[in-house]
Amino acid sequence: MKKISVFEVAYKNLLRKKTRSLLTVLGIAMAAWVLVSLFGFNKGYETSLNKDIDNLGFQMLVVAKGCPYEAATLMLKGGTGLKYMKEEIASAVAAEPEVEGVTAMLMQVVFDPNKGESGGISAFLGVDPASFPKMKSALPFKSGGWFKELETFEAVFGYEVAELEQREVGDLYLIPEKEVEVKVVGVLERTGTQDDGTIFLPIRTVQRVFAVPGELTAIGIKVKKEADIKAFEDKMYKLPDVQVVSLTQVKTTIMTLVSTARVMVFSIALIAILIAMMGVINTVLMSVMERRQEIGILKSMGAMALDVFKLVWLETIILCVSGGLIGTALALLTARLTDLLVRNLLPYSPSGGLVAIDLPLVLMTLGVVTAIGLASGIYPSWKAARMRPLDTIRSEGES
Amino acid sequence: MNATTNVRPGSGAGSNTWRMFLLATAGLILAAAALYAAVGCDLNDPDRDVKRLFPESTGYKTLYVSITKRGGEELLRKIEARLGDTFKGLFETADVPYTMYEIYKGADLVGYIHGVNQKGTYGGLQVFLALDLRGVIRGFYFQKLTSRAAKAFRDPAFGSQFLGLSLEDFYRYDVVTGKEDPVGPVSRIKNSDPASEQDFRAALRATKKNLVLVDEFLLGNPHLKFFKG
Repeated sequence: MKKISVFEVAYKNLLRKKTRSLLTVLGIAMAAWVLVSLFGFNKGYETSLNKDIDNLGFQMLVVAKGCPYEAATLMLKGGTGLKYMKEEIASAVAAEPEVEGVTAMLMQVVFDPNKGESGGISAFLGVDPASFPKMKSALPFKSGGWFKELETFEAVFGYEVAELEQREVGDLYLIPEKEVEVKVVGVLERTGTQDDGTIFLPIRTVQRVFAVPGELTAIGIKVKKEADIKAFEDKMYKLPDVQVVSLTQVKTTIMTLVSTARVMVFSIALIAILIAMMGVINTVLMSVMERRQEIGILKSMGAMALDVFKLVWLETIILCVSGGLIGTALALLTARLTDLLVRNLLPYSPSGGLVAIDLPLVLMTLGVVTAIGLASGIYPSWKAARMRPLDTIRSEGES
Repeated sequence: MNATTNVRPGSGAGSNTWRMFLLATAGLILAAAALYAAVGCDLNDPDRDVKRLFPESTGYKTLYVSITKRGGEELLRKIEARLGDTFKGLFETADVPYTMYEIYKGADLVGYIHGVNQKGTYGGLQVFLALDLRGVIRGFYFQKLTSRAAKAFRDPAFGSQFLGLSLEDFYRYDVVTGKEDPVGPVSRIKNSDPASEQDFRAALRATKKNLVLVDEFLLGNPHLKFFKG
């Protein structure tokens, strides 16, 4: 006679009520799916945000006093209202002992009536060829390179703007409104950042063409590795007529807001897990009650309470582990879709992948789901284990 | 928002302002890419543009095609032969995705809209054509145009010169030399600004390329019989 394992018995018991078992597994799978996707998002978002900020090349940004929120809106709507600061501030900041380097920037935005049918915005960033390329050393070129002079009619195009304007190295470009020709000397690779949509010009050229001599809109600051960034930030906050943006603070703020949203979603996930857990308890308990007579016979044939407990507990674990595996697989398969969905919902998303699912995360989720299975199975298993054979057989006979 | 006081993080009432400040700056620094829309040659506002070009339309269907997907290198050579010029540069390649619009009145197909990118002297041109079912131009306009002669080329009088023409007419026009042999309707299209001859020729090349692509991808090549190779 073939010996049958406890696992096989548990498995066959579950197959007796296929639909009910399947629905329970699906409930667990959904909870696991949400859990993996959420933790994956948590990790992916932070990694991508860090990468975006590292790609900026500087840790602090000094901008002219004024509300950048309004400035951003004005820029997007028509390019007026930019706030300026004097070039001397860049020299003063550069003289600070904590500073490894500074790069002065001047952004200008013009309305191009021939971009689209109702016009559009073109953004120009005047940069210092001596310092900016050093700070942004990670910027890859598709062709050409940086301009060398501080004042020359040459330009470097971001990937998307080059594609939109169909510009290649050696081509000419006409600055809208100003009717000034510049020669393209470099085209950047796609970076997924604001650089893709920017036309870089030498800072003196921008100051001259747009008639804002000696003015800047931002100064990027790279702080020495050994410097106390917090103390330096405090020192910078005291500078008159400027606002200081620490990118560490920007990152912390974004992560705080994302965390707030995440807590809400985690709460929903927790509720989903609790519902799934209740579903498992309900399913297994129903199964136990339906098999009272069977359990009674098992016990009268010599099965111990622990054997019955193990059998029912195993059924619960099978349900939960199967749900966990399916949910994890679903999360892996739909990671790209989740990425797109979240990207559409969030007001700001970093350029890299937003959902990062790795092996430790998968193992952790399976561990959590198994633990849920173990916990959920205790009561039904205990209930089954303490059934008295005579009572169960008698009650079946009576019913 | 206070524009004259430095606000530090976590300073009581200032913390909300600071949060807005940081967020705005983050948006300014990190999301300025939105200044430029995704590159391609889609209609800026399909619902509005379709209704303007086909007032009788009740709906449209958008199709995405590329030479790579439809036939690869062999198809590219065929299209280049029909255009009379090779695809050039970094941005005119076989994998460029083309967005084509089929226009419907009720269940009936009434026409097509298609735009192409073309390199001009100072920047990109986006030439859109509205075509009837036989591939005859019933609407011409520049969606985007970087040129010293932008105003002249955008004048409706310039675009109206293209109306009624089809790929049959454009086959005689050599996009490389800018000549039509024998002289025909394309030669009668007047350059509104002779100083911008290069952009004028770019507009004609874009129109011919547009017509070839529509013939190939939408019409089933009815104009191929007029192609003399």
